[in-house]
Amino acid sequence: MNEVLKAVGNVFLKMPLGFVVTLRHFFKKPVTLDYPYKKKPMTPRYRGKHYLERYDDSTERCVCCGLCAAACPADAIYMEPEENEKGERRAKIYEINLLRCIFCGFCEEACPEEAIFLGQDYEFSDVNRNAFIYTKEEMLVKHPRKDNPFKRLYRRVRKVHGVTDKIS
Amino acid sequence: MAQETNEKAAATPVTMVTLTIDGQSVTVPKGKTVLEAARSVGIDIPTFCHHPKLKSVGSCRICYVEIEKMPKLQVSCATEAMDGMVVSTNSDQVKQGRRAVIEFILLNHPLDCPTCDKGGECDLQNLTFAHGTDDSRNDFQKTRFREDDMSTTFDDKSIGPEIVLNRNRCILCYKCVRSNKDAFGEYDLGVYERGNIAQIDSAPGEQVDNPFSGNLVEICPVGALTNRDWRYKIRVWLTETTPSVDNFQSSGSNITFSKERQKNKIYRVTSRPNDDIDDGWLPDITRYGYQIVNSPDRLKKPLIKKGGTQVEVSWDEALDTIAKRLANIKDSKGSVCIGGLAAPSLDNRSLYGFSKFFRKVLHSNNVDYRSDCRMLPSSSDTICSRLAMQPFSISDLDDSDVIVVFGSDLIREHHNEYLRMRKAFNFNGARLFSITPYAVKAADIAELEVVHRPGKEEFVLQAVCQAAVEDRLVDDQTAGRFREQVGNVDLTELCRSAGISTDSVKQIARALASGKKISFVVGEIVTRSREREPIAAAICNLNKLFGLHDKGQVAILARYANSKGAQKLGVVPVPHKMLVDKMNVLWSETPSCEAHNTDAMLALLKKEEIDSLFVLGANPMMVYPDLQFAREGLERADFLVACDLFETETTQLADVVLPLCSWAEYDGDYVNLEGRNQTARAAIKPIGESRTGFDIMAALAARFEASDLFEVDAIESEISQMLAIADTPALPQEYTQVRASEDKEKDGFDIPLYLCDDPHHSGHLTEKSPSLAEFSGEAYAEISFDLANRLKLRNGESVRVESPVGKIIIPVKISEILNTDVVLLPRNFSSTPTTALMMRKRRVDMVKLSKVDD
Ligand code: SF4
Ligand code: SF4
Ligand code: SF4
Ligand code: FES
Repeated sequence: MNEVLKAVGNVFLKMPLGFVVTLRHFFKKPVTLDYPYKKKPMTPRYRGKHYLERYDDSTERCVCCGLCAAACPADAIYMEPEENEKGERRAKIYEINLLRCIFCGFCEEACPEEAIFLGQDYEFSDVNRNAFIYTKEEMLVKHPRKDNPFKRLYRRVRKVHGVTDKIS
Repeated sequence: MAQETNEKAAATPVTMVTLTIDGQSVTVPKGKTVLEAARSVGIDIPTFCHHPKLKSVGSCRICYVEIEKMPKLQVSCATEAMDGMVVSTNSDQVKQGRRAVIEFILLNHPLDCPTCDKGGECDLQNLTFAHGTDDSRNDFQKTRFREDDMSTTFDDKSIGPEIVLNRNRCILCYKCVRSNKDAFGEYDLGVYERGNIAQIDSAPGEQVDNPFSGNLVEICPVGALTNRDWRYKIRVWLTETTPSVDNFQSSGSNITFSKERQKNKIYRVTSRPNDDIDDGWLPDITRYGYQIVNSPDRLKKPLIKKGGTQVEVSWDEALDTIAKRLANIKDSKGSVCIGGLAAPSLDNRSLYGFSKFFRKVLHSNNVDYRSDCRMLPSSSDTICSRLAMQPFSISDLDDSDVIVVFGSDLIREHHNEYLRMRKAFNFNGARLFSITPYAVKAADIAELEVVHRPGKEEFVLQAVCQAAVEDRLVDDQTAGRFREQVGNVDLTELCRSAGISTDSVKQIARALASGKKISFVVGEIVTRSREREPIAAAICNLNKLFGLHDKGQVAILARYANSKGAQKLGVVPVPHKMLVDKMNVLWSETPSCEAHNTDAMLALLKKEEIDSLFVLGANPMMVYPDLQFAREGLERADFLVACDLFETETTQLADVVLPLCSWAEYDGDYVNLEGRNQTARAAIKPIGESRTGFDIMAALAARFEASDLFEVDAIESEISQMLAIADTPALPQEYTQVRASEDKEKDGFDIPLYLCDDPHHSGHLTEKSPSLAEFSGEAYAEISFDLANRLKLRNGESVRVESPVGKIIIPVKISEILNTDVVLLPRNFSSTPTTALMMRKRRVDMVKLSKVDD
């Protein structure tokens, strides 16, 4: 009989006791996110997928100077320049292989034209290797720019640091 | 003491000075600058405006050094080294000076390195990095030269077909203007305005399109002058370099290819200065001609004619077909029925392999490399061929005090020699004489330009000899001998028939008699002439009379990249005796059958006595001076094999076409016109399935079971033995009678025609280079202003050029140089076959011109 009582006691008293922590969390706000339906904001200086900036009048900032490729420790950037109708230097091909990229941000650091940035986006998995080679068209920001609060913040940071957009 | 250490100084006593640079004692000849003294012992002083081949101007002041007892810093490039000087190149004061100069230069420099093509190899970048400050104190707006289009931030301006100028970047070192003027003798670029708006620009209404303009880009220390060829293509640090030699010129300028290995592509050619050959200047042909290598029109696979059209086949099939057909012809008709033409721009190995295949495997003597000459003599040991084998050195032109250019339009044929001649004139005060049938550009600095009546070359030379004898310019014994052997000719009569004045002849005779070191260079107008032998005989008389050979050099200049090699390796029907002897030793036998040269081969092809022709890289249809004759010959060929880089007029007729590698795709040796053997390294892998000339010959030999004759090591040693034959055949010891035959006059055809190369082209391949086509892309008839006036023609209007055998209509180009009635036609454009107007039997082709009324 005693044995039976003990077992019942274990089940109804000790076991809930052991679950106290679990149960406590039961009534708390969850720490996990309902990913991919909800997303966590990244820190402003997070180094995610690259994007290429434009001037306010929509021309590309990148002049295809090759310094990012020269700085890149992973040799992930490939480019070919060309001359546009105005005689200016522009990128004909600008590609980053994100499988090679180690997201060090050296390209951003090297760029003399403030053209390339590592953004907040980290969702670019794919099943096809070729899909990781991002072209200029894929990386150029939309014009007019979709107002994204992170990017706005980012631009503000850049302004604070003395980088201004082209004056018209 | 100093003299003993320097051999040259011992020969011609030069005072030496000894100075101390950074504690090191340096001894240099007097007259050298401090900069040269420092560089001679490996102390580097930065420079912008200094160029070793130009006079110093001291305009940039970066080359500051401190010299004891001198109150201020001195520019080393313009300060002469003096005995006992104590120079410091890196004291604090010097460093401060350099920093200040850099800061000053950067005041107006746009710092647009990211878009500048010079980025990565820019002197200003490097020196700023080494000597400049990292901060700017400049608060002012920089001077900016804007182009009309205000919407762009780029201020580039085209000042020529290839050259782009950005005046913002210019640091006004004047190197471009100076070299253009002093080294190339061109005045299409200048400095305009003063102060902070001083700027380089093309002369008003002119384009910078001289045949040396590419050099301006190379020597500009910053990116102010860039060329379209390299514009926005690739960054310099992504390219690798390969040393090579030029393939479009006989002097074999040393060049460097910049290439990208993965893409198998060449991006540019820059110079690899060699003071003995090119002085670091490259003609545009060399600089932009490489573009043919990556041309999309290259032949990539062998072709065989099947049912009237050429279809792509495999190499095996093509080679098997060739071997089978050649063996058939050889067995049924004899090997004398097979002929071969090789291009004189191929490397030694290809040419030697070609000759060996014909002589040793096919037992035929019908090989030739001279597909652009008419009426060649059948024998090899002629005066002309001996003259062509005389030694010649480009750098000897520098210190010659008399230079005679005979029958050569240097700017169209020999660009390096053209520049050397200018150098001799500008820097050493050489006296130049030019004797040509039409006025040439090179004569603008000549003391005397003799333009004689076309086809009277030997008269001029005879007149010079006669004048020397009459005026007692040579000693009596020599004169007596000359009189005895040549006889007395009337000087005025000679001059009258040559259409020149007696005074000019006497002036030349006086110069030749008084010159200490004489260079007598003979060019294409003689070698391509039917009467080359009598002219050569006249040259030899002149040589003997004045003793030119002992006082310098007399030579016929070889024309193509490896003409000299072809000559030395015996790629002619009957090589010189000493070459045959060597071949007999190397191959144990040489065929004894009849030998035919280009002319004879074409004639026999026409008569169907030769059945097959093997053409390696040559294009007789474009260069043989009688298109009709060449076409009839080639069309009747039973079996025609043509190997070339591109589809040409010749490959179109061929039964089998093999794609050939360009010189940038394999290691090859080339003998330049001085006899210097130079190696061009492979820059890229062969394009498509193309193969080298030697590989083709070896593969064919293998099908004749003779591959043991074509082992590379053995071939190499045989070539070096052939090239090592150093003897030059002696020129005739006696005076010879000069007898040339004249053309029969043809009524109505009154204007002499000369076939020449455009100054921006060479041979038949450069047409495929887009940059060179920008300079000059279509054929034209170049005539004098006078003649154009009489025909009421304006520049660019169409003119009908008619000869007894053909007629073409082409735009007219009014020359600033020509001053007689003569028409020049370039032979470089396949769209206009100018050889169609020529007849092989004539000495000078005559045409008539008329305006085309539309
Ligand atoms: S983040 Fe670093 S590794 Fe990635 S592309 Fe830029 S430089 Fe290269
Ligand atoms: S992104 Fe910046 S560093 Fe890279 S090529 Fe463009 S301008 Fe140059
Ligand atoms: S264009 Fe270049 S070479 Fe000419 S003056 Fe300016 S910096 Fe010197
Ligand atoms: S290099 Fe001496 S002043 Fe320019």
